[in-house]
Amino acid sequence: MKSSLTEGVAPDQLPVAHEHQNEKNDGKQDGRLSLFRLLLKDRFATVSALILVFVGLTALVGPALMGDLATKQNLLFANKAPFTLAHGWEYFLGSDSLGRSMLARLVVASRTTLSVALPAVAVALFVGSLWGVWAGYHRGWRENVSMRIADVIMSFPSLLLAVVVLYVFSPSAANIVLILALTRIPIYLRTARAESAELQSRTFVDAARTFGAKPNAIIVRHVIPVVLPTLLTLATLEFCYVMLAESSLSFLGIGIQPPDVSWGLMVSQGRQYLQTAWWLSIFPGVAIVVTTIAANVLAAWLRIATDPAQRWRLALPRKRLIARIPAKEAKP
Amino acid sequence: MLIYLRKRIVSSALPLVVVIVGVFALARMTGNPASLYLPLNATQQMRDDFTARNGLDQPLLVQMADYFGGVLRLDFGQSLRTGQDAAAMALRAFPATLQLAATTMVLAVLLALVVGCWAALKPNGIADRISSFVSMAAASIPDFWLAIVGIWVFAITLGWLPTSGVSGAGAWVLPIATLLLRPFGVLVQIVRGSMVSALSEPYIKLARSRGAGELRVVTHHALRNAAAPALTVAGDLTVGLVNGAVVVETIFGWPGIGKLMIDSILQRDFAVLQAAVLLTAVAIFALNILIDMGYALLDARVRPVTVKA
Amino acid sequence: MTSSSKPPFPALLKWPALASVAMLGLSGCSVANSDAGAASSNTVRVVLGQEPPTLEACESNLTSTGVVVRSNVTEPLIERNPQSGELEPKLATEWKATTDTEWTLKLREGVTFQDGTPFNAEAAAFTIERAVNSKLGCNVEGYVFGDADLAVKAVDATTLTVTTPEPDPILPLRLSFLEVVPTSTSATEKVREPIGTGPYKIEKWDAGQKITLSSWDGYWGDKPAYAKAEYQWRSESSVRAAMITSGEADVAMGLSPDDNIGGLGVDYPNNETVALRLDANEAPLNDIRVRQAINYALDKEGIVNSLYQGKHQVAAQLVPEGIVGHNAELKGWPFDLDKAKSLVAEAKAAGVDTSAQISLVVRSAQFPKITELAQVLQEQLSQAGLNVKLKMLETSQHLTYQVRPFADDEGAVALMTQHGNQAGDAAFTVDQYMLSTGAQSYFGTPEFDAMIKKADAASGEERKKDFEEIFAYQNDKVVQFAHISHQTGIIGKAKSVNYTPNSSSGDELRVSEMTPAN
Repeated sequence: MKSSLTEGVAPDQLPVAHEHQNEKNDGKQDGRLSLFRLLLKDRFATVSALILVFVGLTALVGPALMGDLATKQNLLFANKAPFTLAHGWEYFLGSDSLGRSMLARLVVASRTTLSVALPAVAVALFVGSLWGVWAGYHRGWRENVSMRIADVIMSFPSLLLAVVVLYVFSPSAANIVLILALTRIPIYLRTARAESAELQSRTFVDAARTFGAKPNAIIVRHVIPVVLPTLLTLATLEFCYVMLAESSLSFLGIGIQPPDVSWGLMVSQGRQYLQTAWWLSIFPGVAIVVTTIAANVLAAWLRIATDPAQRWRLALPRKRLIARIPAKEAKP
Repeated sequence: MLIYLRKRIVSSALPLVVVIVGVFALARMTGNPASLYLPLNATQQMRDDFTARNGLDQPLLVQMADYFGGVLRLDFGQSLRTGQDAAAMALRAFPATLQLAATTMVLAVLLALVVGCWAALKPNGIADRISSFVSMAAASIPDFWLAIVGIWVFAITLGWLPTSGVSGAGAWVLPIATLLLRPFGVLVQIVRGSMVSALSEPYIKLARSRGAGELRVVTHHALRNAAAPALTVAGDLTVGLVNGAVVVETIFGWPGIGKLMIDSILQRDFAVLQAAVLLTAVAIFALNILIDMGYALLDARVRPVTVKA
Repeated sequence: MTSSSKPPFPALLKWPALASVAMLGLSGCSVANSDAGAASSNTVRVVLGQEPPTLEACESNLTSTGVVVRSNVTEPLIERNPQSGELEPKLATEWKATTDTEWTLKLREGVTFQDGTPFNAEAAAFTIERAVNSKLGCNVEGYVFGDADLAVKAVDATTLTVTTPEPDPILPLRLSFLEVVPTSTSATEKVREPIGTGPYKIEKWDAGQKITLSSWDGYWGDKPAYAKAEYQWRSESSVRAAMITSGEADVAMGLSPDDNIGGLGVDYPNNETVALRLDANEAPLNDIRVRQAINYALDKEGIVNSLYQGKHQVAAQLVPEGIVGHNAELKGWPFDLDKAKSLVAEAKAAGVDTSAQISLVVRSAQFPKITELAQVLQEQLSQAGLNVKLKMLETSQHLTYQVRPFADDEGAVALMTQHGNQAGDAAFTVDQYMLSTGAQSYFGTPEFDAMIKKADAASGEERKKDFEEIFAYQNDKVVQFAHISHQTGIIGKAKSVNYTPNSSSGDELRVSEMTPAN
């Protein structure tokens, strides 16, 4: 397999793909290590990664630390302004319309938000990619039918589809995940199909075929590893989209329902207090924006880092980079 | 090209039918609208009358056959809510959304081309950093929230723009700005990316060595290559605009098809929902075909037959 | 590939430009270039929460329709004064019961419809036939008259008799819901833009954008101060408020206390009452102690003061002051958490499964701050030791819990209901909410049903007293409801308009009562 992949590119070109092989070998170690080093070289990507790790950790352990602070109401203590320690650390970010700690609610909401966004992206990525790769590899009617199905899903405004489906089945977190995943499958399906259709005519796939490898084996061993970096980059971008879609659902009153709380729901519920208590919707809004920007930056970085033709750029000092761009022939 | 076009149109017909069947079935699963349209103290007799009058007591398949029979005669049914012709309501709302979406997309593409090129001239330069931050932020803000903040700042505090409505040019600014942000943010990143690689191609070097000015190099040579991916993405983003339109039209009182669709769902106004979805789906299919053709025109290497197989 | 093989760049820029031109061309008539709604001193601009689905006169008991049509375009025979609760003459000048079941009405002379035809007994009879006895399925028929048909007879041009199958002491009140239309109105189809006898006629309805009414010269009464009324609609209350602040509208309906409209907001009692309706068919709500505990556990004062800035009033019954039958003696249940806890403990000791889940069913966006209120109620009931799950639903789903036949997939349900008695008589509340078979009632007792039947047939002081007793009895012996508050509505009003809203402003906004302030 290695030999067929090395056509014009270095063996360590696909670090992400290597993670999906269960064999322990040096290539994996190298790939990971150098990817990590590359990350440290880019300040913005590093900060973004740190932010995402922080958000992830908050979602993981934060709610336990907050105890019942996020649900404890005090009607006489409603809408207290933020940025003062006068009421104790838990009210540093102010209190909401029912006197609950904004800080605690933001922390608890981070878990709900991520537990909707991450599974939705993962499900769509998994189903869409496999389907797309399969369709693109086989081409013919399989490809045609798949693309028409994608057309059908894409031609129905996803927000409305979500509203209708969530009216039929109640708006629980699981259903929101499923419907968001369903509407985003075509994105992966199309990309994976295009890449896989291109690959299936390439020499190394041909070679594998002549040696009698089964289609599914070729897809798993030769096509998926090549396509995966693109799809993972796409997934990182989609993570932003899904978070925004979840907040739009809250605006339409059909997203996460109280007493559960997500950032999208907080922005949506806080909007009526914009003039009297701005922090109710600004803080969760900022949380969404910061998280999505971090994911965006990381996706942009990942796109370059996993592209063997561009990756060298990250390793260079900045000044030389600009000077050398026109000289490089960037065709794999 | 004509043969290709005909083939595309024929192959789009089936998905359209699937969309309508899906909407038809899903909508009816959301419950009988009788209680929404009758007084709270309506008797069972009144409910049954209502259900029968609107044909909702028939089995689903019979209802669907009736509906498709009607569609073939261009009869899309009547609105439960207003008693008007459903197709007429959808057609009346459609131009408002089309104008909004078209203006938004044209502006987004133009702005993204300018900003994306500017950023790509010096990768990792100040302009590049600023524009990527701005574009990422633009694509990350919840639209309904931005719309309300926009009204608060520009209509109430500053008094520059009307809060909402459709009267006068000023009323277009906030809805378009709200809708624009996401497509703009995504497109800037696409244009920048493809410009950076286009500018590193040998033919650019060649053009430069022939003494072409920087502006000419960018606009005449590199941009052409960079436009194709932007066009593809712009197509998908236009479809996504319908989602944005639902939110924006609701807030700004814009009488478009997004608002019509969400109202029809809330009010279980099945005929109007079906007509509006059908119209939107037709528009989206037409748009996809246009994009494929534009793509083929832009890039002679891609033969229409190979686009999306 | 050399640069010379590519078409010149301008072709690229043309594409979006061409597309935009083509799309704008395709879309035909432009929405945006319709006249810019310039404020003029003789036009009053009103912004509503939603576009009226229709202006059909026989559906004008629907809030969104009635707010435009009633008393502006069309008029009733008899009108209820929202302040005094008294019935007043409108198109009928006097009325009296001639027998047990027959009422005779004298009609106003010299009134014409906006199409020039005269108003007479024939038109009045036609209106009643059309709304109540026809197959049109008018909303007002179900709302006010039920299945009963009325026998109507035009005795002469100005005399009308109406006969009911059963004695009906409040028939004149019921008739006040009927807006009179001319005989030229279709009797087989609903009419979106009706003709009436009111001070304004419908000038133009730009679907989706606005409705314009203009003052009608042939009106029989005083000419209104404003020559035109323009209605627009925005679903976000903060946007409606902003339109007042920015001077784009003169009157805005249905604002929230947090829209921060300052001195431009006018409070008015809107006759709406919020309560929890408790389903006594399921444990643990089948035990009266648990239902009492719920009443004790709710801190009504705290809710009213902090959530609604003290503008609402703690409620002790389903109808506010001003409705015939309101019991002024009743006081809201005191907030006593300890008592609530001990009642729950008592019920538990008696074998009631107090840990069974109670679904708190609430309609999203039904009134301002309902989500907050729902969360407070859930919290307070949990404090009392009950297992409460909050369930926020949209209108259509909520209705399956609100009216018979009730959704029965759940255990015990505590449903948040917002009840507005538009009619001014407690019968409209009690028949629906308290009869054991009422459309919105979970249960009742035979004894209670008998009390209600008796009150329905009574009239005058006796009727008043009967209903007062009914409200007291519900709180003592039945406890189907945990009352929370009588609400206060907020109307946004620009300084340039003089208008005092009253309890019926939300259903019937009389433009003729508005005058320019200078």
